[in-house]
Amino acid sequence: VVTLSTDVLVIGGGATGAGVAWDAALRGLDVVLVDRADLAEGTSGRFHGLLHSGGRYAVKDPRAAEECIGENRILRRVAADAIEDTGGLFVTTPWDDPDYADRFARGCADTGVDCEEIPVAQALRDEPRLSRDISRAFRVPDASIDVWKTVWALAHGAQQRGARILPYHEVTQVHRSNGGGAVTGARARDVRTREDVEIHADVTVNAAGAWAGQVADLAGIEGVRVLPGRGIMIAMGHRLVNTVINRCQLPSDGDILVPIRTVSVIGTTDEHTDDPDDQMVRGDEVDRMLNDGEKLVPGFRQARALRVWTGVRPLFEDAKASETETRDVTRAHALLDHRRRDGVSGFVTITGGKLTTFRLMAAETVDAVCRQLGTTRACRTDTEPLPGSESGQTYRLGERLARKEAHLRDEQLVCECELVARSTLEEAIARTGSTNLDDIRRRLRLGMGPCQGGFCIYRAAGIMHGLDGISVEQADGSLIAFLQERWKGIWPVLYGDQLRQARLDDWIFQGILDVEHLPS
Amino acid sequence: VKSELHFDVVVIGAGTAGLVAATRLAQSGARVCVIAKGIGSTHLAPATIDVLGYAPELVDEVVPALERLIESRPDHPYALVGPDTVAEATSWFARTVSDGPLPGYVYVGELKRNLRLPSALGALRPSALVPETMAAGDAARLSRVGIVGSPALRDFHPGLCAANLTAAGIDARPVNLELALDRADANALGIARLFDDPGWRARFCAELSPALRAEEHVGLPAMLGLRDPHGVLADLESRLGRGVFEIPTLPPSVPGMRMYEILRHTLRAAGGRLVLGPAVTAHRRDGDRVTAVSTRAAGHEVNYAAPWFVLAAGGFASGAIELDSHWLTHERVLGLRLRGLPGAGEPRFVSDAFAEQPMARVGVAVKDDLRAEGVENVVVAGAALPGAAPWREHSGEGIALASGYRAAQVIAGGLAARAKATV
Repeated sequence: VVTLSTDVLVIGGGATGAGVAWDAALRGLDVVLVDRADLAEGTSGRFHGLLHSGGRYAVKDPRAAEECIGENRILRRVAADAIEDTGGLFVTTPWDDPDYADRFARGCADTGVDCEEIPVAQALRDEPRLSRDISRAFRVPDASIDVWKTVWALAHGAQQRGARILPYHEVTQVHRSNGGGAVTGARARDVRTREDVEIHADVTVNAAGAWAGQVADLAGIEGVRVLPGRGIMIAMGHRLVNTVINRCQLPSDGDILVPIRTVSVIGTTDEHTDDPDDQMVRGDEVDRMLNDGEKLVPGFRQARALRVWTGVRPLFEDAKASETETRDVTRAHALLDHRRRDGVSGFVTITGGKLTTFRLMAAETVDAVCRQLGTTRACRTDTEPLPGSESGQTYRLGERLARKEAHLRDEQLVCECELVARSTLEEAIARTGSTNLDDIRRRLRLGMGPCQGGFCIYRAAGIMHGLDGISVEQADGSLIAFLQERWKGIWPVLYGDQLRQARLDDWIFQGILDVEHLPS
Repeated sequence: VKSELHFDVVVIGAGTAGLVAATRLAQSGARVCVIAKGIGSTHLAPATIDVLGYAPELVDEVVPALERLIESRPDHPYALVGPDTVAEATSWFARTVSDGPLPGYVYVGELKRNLRLPSALGALRPSALVPETMAAGDAARLSRVGIVGSPALRDFHPGLCAANLTAAGIDARPVNLELALDRADANALGIARLFDDPGWRARFCAELSPALRAEEHVGLPAMLGLRDPHGVLADLESRLGRGVFEIPTLPPSVPGMRMYEILRHTLRAAGGRLVLGPAVTAHRRDGDRVTAVSTRAAGHEVNYAAPWFVLAAGGFASGAIELDSHWLTHERVLGLRLRGLPGAGEPRFVSDAFAEQPMARVGVAVKDDLRAEGVENVVVAGAALPGAAPWREHSGEGIALASGYRAAQVIAGGLAARAKATV
């Protein structure tokens, strides 16, 4: 058993947990972060990529709108490299309540969300694929954000300041001191090596999101109830639009279309589930989503659907709240200081919320941590740029292609769809020490384009096998696991040209490579 | 602008099935035209004639396995064409290659026993008939081998291939060459063009020779020339003093291009026409007969009228059969009826990537003589046929070849009957 001691243990490596690690490290605290899987493999990595302007909440939840626009402005500075400044439009379609538009404009004005109504003709010039039937259009500062880039940068920045980041470490016990009055750390198991790590911490932060109730249970804290809300998203194989498109109506299903990197993502649904690991996709949900896409962009159904996935929002309900307090299930974030709430010191839970406000959530959490530690240290994440964002230059589509074109003769491309070079792949495998091609995918976008790994995954497995210490069983196993994992997101939306692509991939892997009959 | 052309047979699709059907018909004296929106599967496939590789266990002796398959699956394309046609078609194909435009180039193997050839991943793929350039890779005779590649060749990874072969009990190891290509990316097609040059071959062998062990065969990605693979193989074997073989890898497929060239040449030599580019956009019907198909290109509409048509446009992979986003399935060229669809409410796909998918065996509904149901004069061949899961069975090229061959027989019979009636 390895033993570690730290000021702060963070359980959960999504945007919130990584944000807490970065924030605490910037304040000079010693940090250990554990996650049961890879970073951003849960809810964070399974969202649509929308950095909210706040417009979506301007009518329904003014406080959320104010938080969003504030964070939007900050993140454009400190996480510039992960953000594409697409801008956003709210458009009134024939299916939307025409009276909502004026309420929307008023709501934006009241909450400070920059919003300008533009002529429909101009909106259609800017976004020619948009339905000709829209009647009003408002421009807002929505953007798209690459959550993986964000989380790696947070983790990397924290590590540079001494934090220890331990992915694939599942918490098996949360320790209470003898008297029971304090949480003193946790035991985690490396799920790859089965080795245990004992972590002593002055404060433990439960940032497990939709899984926060499970972690609170481990700590013996009652009534932290997180109701997982399941939502599906579909990635289409093109930039159908270059601006984030929102339906101008009260937030509902299938009313956001987000252009991010080389694809566009439509989302989402909201359905209660009992299990945060529920990744089911139902056929009728897919069908509804495609219909919704058709309302925004006619011909949507003829475009290629690359894959579908499910994200699980953490919706918090405090079963221990007194009768006088609101018992609404809330989408706002919830910070529970268990010293105040339960008389257990050294333990803080942060859950609920949305990706756009992760930094704010982290700041409030680390404030609470500092209170428990009896120290006052100012938060700096609103001014300190993340690694890679120092220039303040936001990401531009085409940036990577321009970089690659400059070195086409001397750099081999492994994944043409996502422009991943061999040297980048080799470096990522060496840096992460991972033989899991799916982990590599989240870092490099390897295999995320239209061919969904058809051409690059054989190459990647071959290159991986050529590196020191990687056995043929590991390389073959990683290839097969990747194909299985990809298929999960492919088959529920497999039609049209993407089915042609899948058949070509069948020919490659079964017909040409005979991957099912490997001797190893 | 409109024009109308008349033929005895119009073949839609220029993959193996379409080219074989057209060539056979042209050789029997029919006026044949092949129209296709593009080249077919040949440039993607390894160009080995895989008749039946897995059923679902590994197939060693092909003929008895074929007979068992036919018995258990009466709707399988092989059940419709019969084992004799498979045998005739494969021997016709072998003769066609020998008589073809690539000097000395032959296919080897027979239906009696599958050969087992290394894949680029190092699995041992079962194939009945293979280019001579691959034959020395047969696992039955392969004991010691150097798998040769280069970091510049991203579509071939000798280390992984050799490691899997080692796991299969073959003494295999990777040999990496520099290949002085002056660029970081190279594919098999570009290098195949270099292999057609004797000077390149001499330099290649000079780099490879010192790296080889005694009595070691040499396996290379499939790139031993486009114009004269027989000469290239002979030259390499004599320079290196050992057996040399090709290993098929990711598309584009060099041996597939050779195969296409052989079939195209033979079709032209027999007087057949080949029009590549325009897709069929419409067709005319007269009762239960198709009378013409039309293409449209550059503002020009061309009608191809004929008493017989072969539909060899492929299945889902080519787009000739489409599943749309409303989960409706269409045959897009002639609007023919389909067979093998999952019933209403049944799943189209299942979550295990390696399980047989419910949509796998969808194809155009045909009668026993491969004529499409409901249409008297359209014969269906190749991947458009229902009842097979070719990439799992390793049967795609065998089905294409045998059904193309059989389609030609059916139509030749029809044309002869009509000629007789006219007399």
